[in-house]
Amino acid sequence: MSENGVLVRGATLQKHFGGIMAVDAVEFAVTEGDLIGLIGPNGSGKTTLINLLTGHLIPDAGEVYLRGRRVNGLPAHGFAAQGIARTFQLTQLFGRMTVLENMLVPGLTRPHSTWGAVTKRARTYLEFLNLAHLETLNAKNLSGGQHKLLELGRALMLEPAVLFLDEPFAGVHPHLRDELIKRIHELHRSGRTFVVVDHDMESILRIAQRLVVMARGRKIADGPPALVRADQTVLAAYSGL
Amino acid sequence: MRGLPVYVLLAATVTLLAYAHLLNSYWMHVAIIAMFYGILASSWSLLAGYAGLFSLGHMAFASLGGYASALLVQWYGIPIPFGMAAGVALCCAIGGLIGWVCLRMSGPYLAIFTLAFSEIVRITFSTEDQVTAGMAGLHTEPLFHSVSRLPYFFTAFGLLAFSLAVMGAIVHSRWGLFFRAVREDEQAAAASGVRVAQFRILAFAIASGFAGLAGGFYAHYIGILTPSLGSLDLMAVVVVMTIIGGMERIPTAVGGAFGVEILQELLRAYGQWRLVIFGIILLLTMRFARNGLLTPLWIQFVRLGEVRSVPPPPRDVGQEGSRI
Amino acid sequence: MDYLFTQAANGAVIGVIYALIAVGVTLIFSILKIVNFAHGDLYMLGGYCAYYVITLLGVPPLPALLAAMASVFALGIVLERLLLTPLYAERTERKDEYGLIVTFGLAFFLRNIALIAFGPFPLKPPSFSSGIQRLGNIIITNDRIFAGGAGLLLLAVLLYFMNRTIWGQALDAVSQSRDSAAIVGINPGRFNSLAFGVGAGLAAGAGALIAPIFSLAPDMGVSSNIQAYVIVILGGMGSVLGSILGGIVLGETEGLFTAFFPDPTRALAYTNAFGVLVLMIVLILRPTGLFGRRHVRME
Repeated sequence: MSENGVLVRGATLQKHFGGIMAVDAVEFAVTEGDLIGLIGPNGSGKTTLINLLTGHLIPDAGEVYLRGRRVNGLPAHGFAAQGIARTFQLTQLFGRMTVLENMLVPGLTRPHSTWGAVTKRARTYLEFLNLAHLETLNAKNLSGGQHKLLELGRALMLEPAVLFLDEPFAGVHPHLRDELIKRIHELHRSGRTFVVVDHDMESILRIAQRLVVMARGRKIADGPPALVRADQTVLAAYSGL
Repeated sequence: MRGLPVYVLLAATVTLLAYAHLLNSYWMHVAIIAMFYGILASSWSLLAGYAGLFSLGHMAFASLGGYASALLVQWYGIPIPFGMAAGVALCCAIGGLIGWVCLRMSGPYLAIFTLAFSEIVRITFSTEDQVTAGMAGLHTEPLFHSVSRLPYFFTAFGLLAFSLAVMGAIVHSRWGLFFRAVREDEQAAAASGVRVAQFRILAFAIASGFAGLAGGFYAHYIGILTPSLGSLDLMAVVVVMTIIGGMERIPTAVGGAFGVEILQELLRAYGQWRLVIFGIILLLTMRFARNGLLTPLWIQFVRLGEVRSVPPPPRDVGQEGSRI
Repeated sequence: MDYLFTQAANGAVIGVIYALIAVGVTLIFSILKIVNFAHGDLYMLGGYCAYYVITLLGVPPLPALLAAMASVFALGIVLERLLLTPLYAERTERKDEYGLIVTFGLAFFLRNIALIAFGPFPLKPPSFSSGIQRLGNIIITNDRIFAGGAGLLLLAVLLYFMNRTIWGQALDAVSQSRDSAAIVGINPGRFNSLAFGVGAGLAAGAGALIAPIFSLAPDMGVSSNIQAYVIVILGGMGSVLGSILGGIVLGETEGLFTAFFPDPTRALAYTNAFGVLVLMIVLILRPTGLFGRRHVRME
């Protein structure tokens, strides 16, 4: 049951913590070639949704499909192996391992990978991200912006079909932000699908081809940016908080 | 010259082996015990330093390995190497089981759980004295019927060398990277495709197997086995050795074991004060040199003979970073 | 039947003692966010301190108890300042591992110093109140009654302190959020020291109370450590009330377990294992304890 080009799909996903419904009956589909901006006020459930769609959380109700196959209960590393990569809101790097080692880890989890090939690929990506000269440095010694880039690099080492970026622009210098946006565009052009969560509306609008808006755990809009921005419910959601 | 540290180590080892027979019986015993602790400290560092699993059950596995081997040899008359191998296999299996049971436990809870496991093993061995001879001590079949300790010395050396070779290979392989990733950040490791559960279980199985190996050797060397092999006191000594040496690397852990053991013998005159001294050294090490006392030395040693053809990266990385 | 009641009564007393120890562990955990592996040894020190205050200074048992608690409270603060200040430095990595290893090392150190200072042979301080009480055929020593009563009093004082005084409420605030507490002017560092000191003092009190009953040995802290962990994990790491209830329940259950265990020669040995087994089962089923808050990683 393969669904044309739909790589990741969440159907009526629900997740609650204690008494709070973090994600409420959300339908979300990511099609190949998408560049989706996922936005919404604080606490609207965006990160929880990403966690559900990348295997870091198990939904209380609803299903997750990868390329048409139901994958409820598949652990996070399984999603990674299937080409679903993600970055974290607060960067989670392997602090006491070197920049290169951070890149090698995801690369070497792939079947039939060899040290030589993976190292070469890692160095190529590090060049692409302007981190090559920091290869032997411990990851924790990088600047905040470099952390974000390295996390992106780590995600790329999985040769992912879909990249979920959780607040890649948060607290990032405007110059780096432009670099990031440039890189995302380049990667998208070479065939990768993106879902980007952020509060930085300016950046999101520069990249998103499709906007999904969440508020209080529910999806309240999903479509081309122009339409979504004019949507009354969206405006209400933002102004009401 | 490339690989200089390796040659230095090889030379030192060969010299040591060539002159080993000159050691008197007492110091040979110290050396053997130091190598016994070397296996324990290095395998514990694999578990706690590389995979980040602070287990207090390590000596329970040494104890299990020892009793398993001793009893199998006693009941079925199998050759001692088979007994020891069986002990290792048993420890790998139970170690993996413990690792599985502990999957959802973190840090202190893991420590408490493994401590509890260790106590249960010790209490059971102590109480079921019909089988194990309890605190009176189980008499075991000696490995060699020789007056001199020399064959035991070479066996211990062989076992240590074998253990270090295997653990070294693991640590330098992708498994080593995965263990360290699991220690650094489990969630990020999973997101990078590392099968976290599998590697946690594997770490326990491997480390426990080596503990069982050490225990098996110990049983057939000392000749008498009591449940105190699995006591918290000995576990504490292993922890002290590994941390003082440096728990994040195999060589520094072994160095810590040798250092503490030899120091313990040199300070024999101080009796009980020795342990107090080690306690203070441990606290000072944790407080001021958390990586371990031998780690800086080892890092320098490994760099011996390195030719710097590429200039080191610029000190001020912010320079490059400000563009970004 | 009388044997059963005696065991039940003894179990209740042991339970109160366990509760005192466990409450300290839980308090230290909720403020400093570490499990104190040296707690049993602070309990041991309390017992010895009371002993020496009585025998060397001729102080009567009850003031000696208070002196022991005060001394170990002070010691606790000193130890916290010396060893645990990295816990609130930004740059310390893997704080829970640090806390674990340092307190483990501290336990090792205290145990061995005690061995030298006090000798390996058991010592028994004089009773708080000699004599026994009879209820029908059930006999309970005055010491046990005193220990139970004094222990309950200490627990009541602690609960009052935590809930009704400003210090206690500040401690609660720090345990919930260091940063928020700091913003309202509470100095988290000072409360780290206070929490560690109070925890230590309570443990010392437990040690002093139990000493006339079971006598003192340098390694008495080891098994009580384990009992403490059983309790806090049962009652909830971070829940004061849970630790108190858990302690009493465990003490009671152990007493009854000894009474009911079919093989008397093994009963005592396996009683120790009983608590440990309960601990393992609880941790397997609920890795964060029955009622406790989730174990929070420090970074």
